[in-house]
Amino acid sequence: MLNVVDLFKQFSVERNAIDGVSFDIPKGDITVLLGPSGCGKTTTLRCVAGLEHPSAGRIQIDGVTVSAPKEKIQIAARHREVGMVFQSYAIWPHMSVLQNVMYPLKNRGMSREEMDRRAKEALDMVGLWEYAKRSATALSGGQMQRVALARSMSYSPKLLLLDEPLSNLDAKLRTRLRVDLRRIIKDIGVTALYVTHDQSEAVVIGDQIGVMNEGRLLQIASAQEIYNKPTDLFVASFTGATNTLAGRVMSRNDLVGIIDMGQGVQLEAMLPDLAKVGANVTVAIRPENINIAISTGTNTFQARVVSAQYQGSQTAYTLALFGGTIEAIELGSAVSLTTGQVVPISLPRELCWAFLDKT
Amino acid sequence: MALISAAQMQQKRADAIERLLPWVWSGSLLATLGFLVIYPMLMLIVGAFTVVSPTSSVTATEVSRLSLQNFVDTLTSPAVGQAVLNSIIACGAGTFFAVILGVMMSWIVVRTNTPARRIIGEISKVPLFIPPLVAAVAWSILGSPDTGLLNIFFQKMSIEININLYSMAGLITVFAMYYCPYVYMFASSALMNMDPSFEEASEISGAGALRTQFQITFPLIAPAILSSMLLSFVIMLGIYGVPAVLGLPANISLLTVHLYQLTVLSPPQYNAAAAVSIIMILVTLVFVYLQYRILAGRSYVTISGKGFRPKTLELGMWRWFTFALALIYIVAVVILPIFALTVTAFRKFMFIPSLISLFDLTQYSMGHFESLFDNPQTLMSMWNTLKVGLITAVIGLAVALSISYTVQRSKAPGRRLIDMISTSAASIPGLIVGVAYLWAWIGLPDGLYGTLWILGLALVGRHIPDAARILASSLIQVHKDLEEAAWIAGSGMFKTVRTIILPLCKPGVIATVSLLFILSVRELGTSLFLYTADTIVMPVLLLGLYESGTLGTTAAFGLFQIIFIAGVIGLANAIRLIVTRNT
Repeated sequence: MLNVVDLFKQFSVERNAIDGVSFDIPKGDITVLLGPSGCGKTTTLRCVAGLEHPSAGRIQIDGVTVSAPKEKIQIAARHREVGMVFQSYAIWPHMSVLQNVMYPLKNRGMSREEMDRRAKEALDMVGLWEYAKRSATALSGGQMQRVALARSMSYSPKLLLLDEPLSNLDAKLRTRLRVDLRRIIKDIGVTALYVTHDQSEAVVIGDQIGVMNEGRLLQIASAQEIYNKPTDLFVASFTGATNTLAGRVMSRNDLVGIIDMGQGVQLEAMLPDLAKVGANVTVAIRPENINIAISTGTNTFQARVVSAQYQGSQTAYTLALFGGTIEAIELGSAVSLTTGQVVPISLPRELCWAFLDKT
Repeated sequence: MALISAAQMQQKRADAIERLLPWVWSGSLLATLGFLVIYPMLMLIVGAFTVVSPTSSVTATEVSRLSLQNFVDTLTSPAVGQAVLNSIIACGAGTFFAVILGVMMSWIVVRTNTPARRIIGEISKVPLFIPPLVAAVAWSILGSPDTGLLNIFFQKMSIEININLYSMAGLITVFAMYYCPYVYMFASSALMNMDPSFEEASEISGAGALRTQFQITFPLIAPAILSSMLLSFVIMLGIYGVPAVLGLPANISLLTVHLYQLTVLSPPQYNAAAAVSIIMILVTLVFVYLQYRILAGRSYVTISGKGFRPKTLELGMWRWFTFALALIYIVAVVILPIFALTVTAFRKFMFIPSLISLFDLTQYSMGHFESLFDNPQTLMSMWNTLKVGLITAVIGLAVALSISYTVQRSKAPGRRLIDMISTSAASIPGLIVGVAYLWAWIGLPDGLYGTLWILGLALVGRHIPDAARILASSLIQVHKDLEEAAWIAGSGMFKTVRTIILPLCKPGVIATVSLLFILSVRELGTSLFLYTADTIVMPVLLLGLYESGTLGTTAAFGLFQIIFIAGVIGLANAIRLIVTRNT
């Protein structure tokens, strides 16, 4: 449905804001671009919208090429038949809720009955039909967000673009609305590209997640794959694998390698294809994947509890291991370890990912 | 036991002082405002509703004999009726065209890819600093019937056009050209601060560029345009220099001119002048109230907090058209008048036999400047203007800073009242501040009347709202936490203001001081009623020179004043650059 091929965008001479991004969104799917601010995710979205002109590459919406600088193709935003929800919502304050939703319909020269029907449908969809006559400035943040969605959906666009649509809301509302948002988009069945810096939001909303950093799309896959088989150290650490341990590959057996962690300790971990014996690697593991007080299986070590931080529904331990420290999470409100105690821990092999160090 | 109670006594006394201090502070601020604003206004009201004369001693019984006779006389006088009508036409049409010009210029500068738009934007603000009187003089040199430079140019080029600036159309033209910068400033900042996603959303919705401008952009800045419109109307209504120079030769009298004439008649009709003043204040109040309502009800917060650059429209070949429009404006408002003043100031005789002779250097000399500075009044007026400017700037800053800090930051009692009184001064046209101070001080022997202080204090009273507004916007940017952190660190309130607030507000303070100085240097209307032979200031002397018909010296002095003000602005900018670089 949406095909982005080798997209580049250059603002300044030194650095590419988008550095060769390619991905496809199947019809009816929601793809989330996830990354820290300045990673190029919003610029990518704006290139798809037609608000930004890419320097090179190709963008196709429903088989129609809308951007291809090489062939001098650059279709204006208003002719792309896309809907967009802006970070600031961009609800026009000088119009009522209904006028906001009607505006794109008027631009399409529809009949009066058609416009009324579609506007009502769109506002019903977000549950705001009774607010139609209200001034747009009299709405709460959450309501504005829904009006913005209604406005962008009223003309049944082929593609829906959402630029951090929940970032201006408070945390509680954000958690509730992201479920609603996915349900509404899925009910309509529109293809959507969604941009956020919030990993928990990305997991709930996206059918697939693309993680971006410094203009590059590092990995695009389902949420489960991103969380369980990251292919890049940045992807692993950005999505929460905050424990990193340096080592060297001693031997490899297909996907699994034995890694020397120094001091004669060996760790089994998943290896990338290119990691040869002798290569320096960094092993990443999520704090919640460390099994505490379990001494069976491979990768079992003795660790000393350096400190414990009680967080209510879980406890975060700092453990001394391999001459450094790692963090481990114990779920539940009870605390089972005390500072100074030495406990066995095990690191599940499939959840220890080694990444080649950049030289 | 006794010791403890002594310590307790001391503590109690300290507490009492602590409690009393805010009241003393608010009381002295209110007394200052009473002296600067309320007392003169009360005297004006007394004058309007009685028949007592401000120059003779007055008994209480005379004051208590209130009557509406002054208002009846004023409102039934055909001259006043004509002046009101003329004022409404001139200022109304002037505002209308000022809005069109101002919105057009701001749109060209902020929202298009017109060539050299940054420079155009800077030049568009220049008319703010050209004294209106000087602009009017320059345009009378350019556009007087027959002898105007433009008419001579048309004649020599055999173009059948004859323009006459001594007319209602002339007044409207000059008003529109020199007051459109107010609209420009409001509209351009509104355009600049608008979240571009409002327009992008329209584009995504399928609207073309033009439709987006008219359906989204302009409606969004409508509140800013409307309030600048009302502001410029009120300012025009209170201007004396332009109608005196361009209206009087054609016997077109505006309210301000009529008002001044009432006070120079023999005997002066101070009561009628007071009544006219009260009527003008009421009209102004209506407009200020309208402006307040519009801003309160429809101020769209269009800033999203995300950093952005305003979206510019790619005009293609049309950008040369907008460039030409901007160029015409700059030529008409800045280049032509300065050219006219320069030619007149340096040319020995204004007889121009041919266009070539304009470039004949033997026709030029420093003669007019020599006779200007041979006149002892010139140097005196320069000294006086400098002193008045300093009084206005220093006292104005002190008063405005005290007020805006008290209103914005303190919990002092009566701060709402202080805010109300100080901002209400904005609805008094400048000329009328002059009339009010005249009423307040002319009858008191050995008082302020006849000193430079009355000129300075009248200007302070008049410009408190402007100065307080600039300082307030600067104060708002200093987070309350910064101040509270200093208190926690052990600083008292005054030390905190001195060591935290003032250094962080430096740009605002410098802007306030330079604005007050410039406004007082170019002020004509207020000073007109308050100057004496010894306290004459530059704009008043300039008007005198113009009225005496010595055009060369007038032009020389006008040019000098423009250069002087430009110098002050340059100095203020240099100081601001140096000061802000160190922080």
